[in-house]
Amino acid sequence: MAFDIDKYTAGSKPVAWSDIDLEEFERDPLPPETLRVLRYMCDVEYHTVCYLRDLLTTPSYNEPEVGAFMTMWNREEFWHGEALAAVLGKHGITVDFDELKSTRLKLGWKDRLDPIKQSLLGGMVGKDFVAVHMAWGAVNEWSANAAYLRMAKLEQHETLAVLLKRIGAQETKHVAFYASQARERLAESRKAQVLTRFVLDRFWGPVGSTISEESEVKHVMGHLFAGEEGRKLIQDVDSHIAKLPGMEGLRIVEKSLDKRGIAAEGPGYVPAQRVAA
Amino acid sequence: MTSSRASRPTPARATSPSPTLGPIATAEAADGSFDVREFARTAQGSQRAAVDLDAIREHGLPAEAIRLVRILRDLERSTLTRLRNLLVTATHKDGRVTAFLVSWAYEKFWMADALDGVLEAVGEEAAGPDPVEHVTKHFGERMARRGPVARAIIGNIAGEQLVAAHVTTGLVDEWIQQAAYRRLGEIAGALHGLADRFIELKQRHVRFLAEEARRRLADSARARRLTVKELKQSVWPIGATRLSDDDRGFLARTVFGTAEGRAEAGRISEVLATFPGVGSVAPTVAARLTP
Repeated sequence: MAFDIDKYTAGSKPVAWSDIDLEEFERDPLPPETLRVLRYMCDVEYHTVCYLRDLLTTPSYNEPEVGAFMTMWNREEFWHGEALAAVLGKHGITVDFDELKSTRLKLGWKDRLDPIKQSLLGGMVGKDFVAVHMAWGAVNEWSANAAYLRMAKLEQHETLAVLLKRIGAQETKHVAFYASQARERLAESRKAQVLTRFVLDRFWGPVGSTISEESEVKHVMGHLFAGEEGRKLIQDVDSHIAKLPGMEGLRIVEKSLDKRGIAAEGPGYVPAQRVAA
Repeated sequence: MTSSRASRPTPARATSPSPTLGPIATAEAADGSFDVREFARTAQGSQRAAVDLDAIREHGLPAEAIRLVRILRDLERSTLTRLRNLLVTATHKDGRVTAFLVSWAYEKFWMADALDGVLEAVGEEAAGPDPVEHVTKHFGERMARRGPVARAIIGNIAGEQLVAAHVTTGLVDEWIQQAAYRRLGEIAGALHGLADRFIELKQRHVRFLAEEARRRLADSARARRLTVKELKQSVWPIGATRLSDDDRGFLARTVFGTAEGRAEAGRISEVLATFPGVGSVAPTVAARLTP
């Protein structure tokens, strides 16, 4: 189904949390291992602008529909970062703009070369390269959505669950855009399919793995997706990807868990019983 | 691609604007500095309600105003090109600046949308222009058109101090746009309210950029050097290289061609000269604005 961009832009707004009682986190705080995951998610959301940068170096942004989406999407993700920062703030963890800056400064030469690499590739491959970005974006949004919903269920913290579900609902719209764009562009071009399959299979890594330490990536993946139930969710994400034209049989997200030794069986992470619940 | 915004005649929103316009918060922190979070929180969406459709229908719009609206719409819509040019440099690393840019782009998107509403009301095609084919012109022009690779390479060499140049040229650009909207309100009474609202929206952008520019220029000699160089090379307004020569000439004549327009350019030069280390280049900027 085509994505209705006018409806999306007209309805785009920051995720709301002013009606959520954040004081609840002071009465019933989240455990350190969960805060570590939230911190990772918060960083990823704030860094969307870096991903936007890479998208903007390809020919895609000149299309009005894509440009309109990117403007709204970037802002919504920024607000996800703000909302998660508010929760972290209630636990004494401050995420301010200066700190984001120091994280970005640590990205170093890879970060500096990325736009150059992307532009050159985009220039060489042309329009088909946009399909790669759209499919990549779809995978990221599918997995982000799975992560938020999984966390909402795992933690059994009502206040957190309300917020994460709201964030997840916005991610669902992002999925719809990226997936419909990817589907159309891949269906139109065999070359785009071959290129996208190659890039996803060879280079895709979990969202945030380019901006975070590997130890953090492993912690987050293990916390959210270890065990049978978590693995099933990841297999669902892979099955969505595999339905895109030319992507049959791809298992990139599951492979990224295997590569990190995340258990496919067993109960996975089980939160300790809450005191105040 | 299906459902491209450009290919559709009239979006439904043209006749069903959001019922009210929100007040524009000052976004001032307790210490008088610009509060980026407050700005982000109070960023303004659809501006269609500021389009006085009745007045437009009753009085019509002079051809000059319609043309100016179309050009300003195209400039507002070139936000993503501007974002790309900034983000491939060290500017993307600054969390405060990118937090600003996220909401700035959002507000400009909706300003362009409201200008689409004006064009639709007078029966003009709302779609954007065909990309302009350009011949290579003077050095500054070529620099303004350079692609992301050249920008990223130059930006990587220049490093973090280039942010000062970006916020200062951005500031001059906002002043130019405010002048253009002021002129639009003068030549088309029916658009006076819309123009005033846009000038007010842009005043928050001005405040952020001015604060950043002043601080960064005061802090570093290298920032001042890079900024002077960028100001000398810039083509105004930013995004003008995507307009046709005819439109660029028209814009300069209409906004800065009258006695009042020249005075306006002079004021931009005077205010720019109050920023640390860029006084020498301010008259060049003003000279470039006037036809």
